[in-house]
Amino acid sequence: MSTIAPKFRLSYFIKSITDNAFWAVLLLTLIGIPFVMVILFYLQLPVLGKRLLDPYLALTTLADPSRQIPLIKSLLQTEFFKIAAFPGFGFAALLAAGTIFVERKMLAKLQLRVGPFYCGKIEGILQLMSDGIKLLSKEIIIPAKADKPIFWAAPVLFVATAAAFVSLIPAARGGWVVADADVGLLAVFAVIGFFPVITVLSAWSANSKFPFIGGIRALHQMVSFEIPLILSVLGVVILTGTLNLTEIVESQYTYWWIIFLPIGAIVFFIAMLAELERIPFDLPEAESEIVAGWLTEFSGMMYGLVQLGSYLKLYAFAGLFVVLFLGGWSGPNIWPPFPQEIIDKGIEMGPITLRLPGLPLLDQQMLNDVLWFVVKVVGVIFFILLPRGVFPRIRIDLLLHIGWYKLIGLAFVNIFIALALVYAGVLGPGGIL
Amino acid sequence: MGTATGIIKALNSGIKHLAVKRFTLRYPEQKLKFVGDGYQYDPNTGVGIAGYKGRHMLFHDHCTGCQLCSIACEGIAEAIAMVKVPEEWKQNKKAIMPQIDYGKCVFCGLCVDACPFYALYMTNDYELSSFTKEGLIYTPAQLQVKPNVQQDVEFKFDNPRGATHG
Amino acid sequence: MSTTSLPPGLQIEKVDERIMTLNVGPQHPGSGHMRIIVKIDGDYIVDADPDPGYVHRGEEKMAEYRNYIQNIPHLERPVIHDSCNVLYPYCLGVEELLGISVPERAKYIRVIASELNRCVYTQYWLAIYGIFLGHSTMFMWPAGDRELLIDMLEKMTGARVTHAYFVPGGVRNDVPANFEDMLLKRVNYFEKRIKEYAAIFYDNPILISRTRDAGKLSREDAIRLGTTGSVLRASGVDYDLRVKEPYDAYGELDIKVNTLKEGDAYARSKIPWLDMLESCNIIRQALQKMPKSGSVRVKLKPNPKGGNDEVYKRVESGRGSLGCYVVSRSTAEPYRVKMSVGSFRNLICMPYLLKGEKLGNMPAVYWSLNYWPVEADR
Repeated sequence: MSTIAPKFRLSYFIKSITDNAFWAVLLLTLIGIPFVMVILFYLQLPVLGKRLLDPYLALTTLADPSRQIPLIKSLLQTEFFKIAAFPGFGFAALLAAGTIFVERKMLAKLQLRVGPFYCGKIEGILQLMSDGIKLLSKEIIIPAKADKPIFWAAPVLFVATAAAFVSLIPAARGGWVVADADVGLLAVFAVIGFFPVITVLSAWSANSKFPFIGGIRALHQMVSFEIPLILSVLGVVILTGTLNLTEIVESQYTYWWIIFLPIGAIVFFIAMLAELERIPFDLPEAESEIVAGWLTEFSGMMYGLVQLGSYLKLYAFAGLFVVLFLGGWSGPNIWPPFPQEIIDKGIEMGPITLRLPGLPLLDQQMLNDVLWFVVKVVGVIFFILLPRGVFPRIRIDLLLHIGWYKLIGLAFVNIFIALALVYAGVLGPGGIL
Repeated sequence: MGTATGIIKALNSGIKHLAVKRFTLRYPEQKLKFVGDGYQYDPNTGVGIAGYKGRHMLFHDHCTGCQLCSIACEGIAEAIAMVKVPEEWKQNKKAIMPQIDYGKCVFCGLCVDACPFYALYMTNDYELSSFTKEGLIYTPAQLQVKPNVQQDVEFKFDNPRGATHG
Repeated sequence: MSTTSLPPGLQIEKVDERIMTLNVGPQHPGSGHMRIIVKIDGDYIVDADPDPGYVHRGEEKMAEYRNYIQNIPHLERPVIHDSCNVLYPYCLGVEELLGISVPERAKYIRVIASELNRCVYTQYWLAIYGIFLGHSTMFMWPAGDRELLIDMLEKMTGARVTHAYFVPGGVRNDVPANFEDMLLKRVNYFEKRIKEYAAIFYDNPILISRTRDAGKLSREDAIRLGTTGSVLRASGVDYDLRVKEPYDAYGELDIKVNTLKEGDAYARSKIPWLDMLESCNIIRQALQKMPKSGSVRVKLKPNPKGGNDEVYKRVESGRGSLGCYVVSRSTAEPYRVKMSVGSFRNLICMPYLLKGEKLGNMPAVYWSLNYWPVEADR
């Protein structure tokens, strides 16, 4: 495992250092200064002790860490934090990366082999990072006859739509959702309706035989499974009487909806596997027949973006399943409360003592909610990943048969059960339970 | 209902296999053990002795330079050529010995079968890669060296959670 | 357009607007070392034209320049995992030409090696069948489980594949010490492992719905087209050369021949698995009946020559009947060696069965014909 290094010449080395320094300074000024201007214009800067935050004040908070608490608290309440870190893109991307790694290791264990092993000291933990770096450094090859603007835009659109889907899923009570829409469920289906369009665009613009077949298959699959997806959720909507996702979770504090509507949950699960193009429904990327389907012509970071979008979609669908059927964030209160004396007297940390005036940063209830949400999402993701090792791929006509006949029939049965429960006065607004 | 039970049984089998031990051999940290010392041939009985067909080993004190190994290989891979050696042996008046090109050898062992003087055996050595094609041609002096083969593990069937390379 | 100006061998073909020609070529994850020119109309295959010959080396011609012993590493190359079975008819034929008879212990060792090779080849074929259908676990499990048997073959013959183990006159070396114990442990564990395939593959409803009634080959058609091996037995014909024309020690062993009636791709994929379970029984019986000591090889004169004679011998390999026709003319080299392989015989079924199938069924049908491209090209 040795690399062949070129001969070292001092002049080349110094030239490369000065080149890097030049470009770093140029980019920093060209991009950094407008960035700072934008922040000063648009961001609401917090007020600390009757003074508006400026760089000198920010640096003095380093001396006394307890003064940073209001700063951090104000940052946590901004929209930017919700979009970028939690429960938006950062949280979803972290879960997506964890999912990819766990999928590879779990599949390997199921197949009696090892999986990623050498990257990172323990069992290949850093494999994802090295894959990302590898994809960044690859050359992006565009086919000569491809439709270039759409071909370049397709992966970015894919990630954008997946991120829009992620933004609608609530993670904890008290408004921890990026976009709190009153018709949240309808917005979810509107966003999901975009995915077939983007797939066909990217397949068509590649202008080659195998992506063409893959794109047509993806279109058939996604469109024919959208109807059972929507119908299976109607049962929950009938029982709760609202389309707002936060309120749907709040109505499950006593009983989860999966107890009363198991058929709907199963139909939603199967339709979810088809929308995500997971095995057994991964026809659009059937490797043994059409090389890689609609992803054939993507290379380098475009492929990386498509993978990221796929796994963001997986997290979002799992989150939707948890919110609709498994009770969202409800669960017994097991997060230990902050001891009262820490709130009064502060934590002893060596030479300094940290005082926490007022309430702590994050609510105990909120942390408990997030814990239960993550546990349930991980459970659902495990059941999404498991069929990959167990089932072969299904054929297109069987797929369409299942999507248009069997699943719609089962979804209607589910709706009838929900209606019966409402009219019998058992559930729903003004019911016994 | 048949499909539902089939699907549940398949998923059940998948979950059960999450508990079975992994079977992989972690080469190059672990290497497999061999039985015996390499493939050998006894010209008296006309039968070989079981062993791994790896790199050859030439015994300089038995080789007479009869070229039978080279003639046997001519029809198969043409990997053996006779070269002059600067050694003086009583049984090797012509002072020639075989030189084997491992770029062409197919490791069939028929040269070992052809030698009537107990001079050519095969050993357990299989890691023969090199950076150049010339490096693959092993001279008679190189063939004299007994290899040092690392052997660590073999199959273990005792664990109830599956067999492993232990 | 006059056809007199065309070079010989070329044809003019009218292009239809609806029909797309797809080249499932040698550089394709779903094809093996051959090309299939498939004409599809939407999702249905209108015409399938297999194009073998990408791996043709001229093995039979090259065999005329090597003497009988030098042909051993040469003729085993068509199927490297199943090399003992490929050499088997050649060795039986040459033994008849030279007029030598094989000792008893060598016959049983040959039977054991042949059955081990059959299991190894079938596992590899099953692994590729799984990956063609998109079932990655069915690729990893057979590929891992066959390591047990390859390790056994390595201890016995000295090489993992292309063993060069059979010679005219017996086998090249006796088995190592402690062989019976090791072999029984491995075969028992192997049998336990392949029984696990039932839950995850053969009883999997998705696999059944994909391969049931796909590429149906009726009993009369199977006999008329001249198929052999597992394809024939999956259509209901009870024909196995180990039972019908027993050679070596197969006459003394109790072999059960598996047949299925349907003749579709599901039956063709199940028969080799049942055959592997039967092979484990055969190995155990052969280990019991093997004479405990004795010579394993007949010493030949140097450069053996046959008379003016010809012989044809057949053997049941992993893919079907493998025959070898050897002609000798009082020289050290054979005058002509012709191998008639099961894969090439079963190739005739491919265009016959694929016509009218859906495109999604193509890998399931064509690989279930137990087709090994390298052997078909020789």
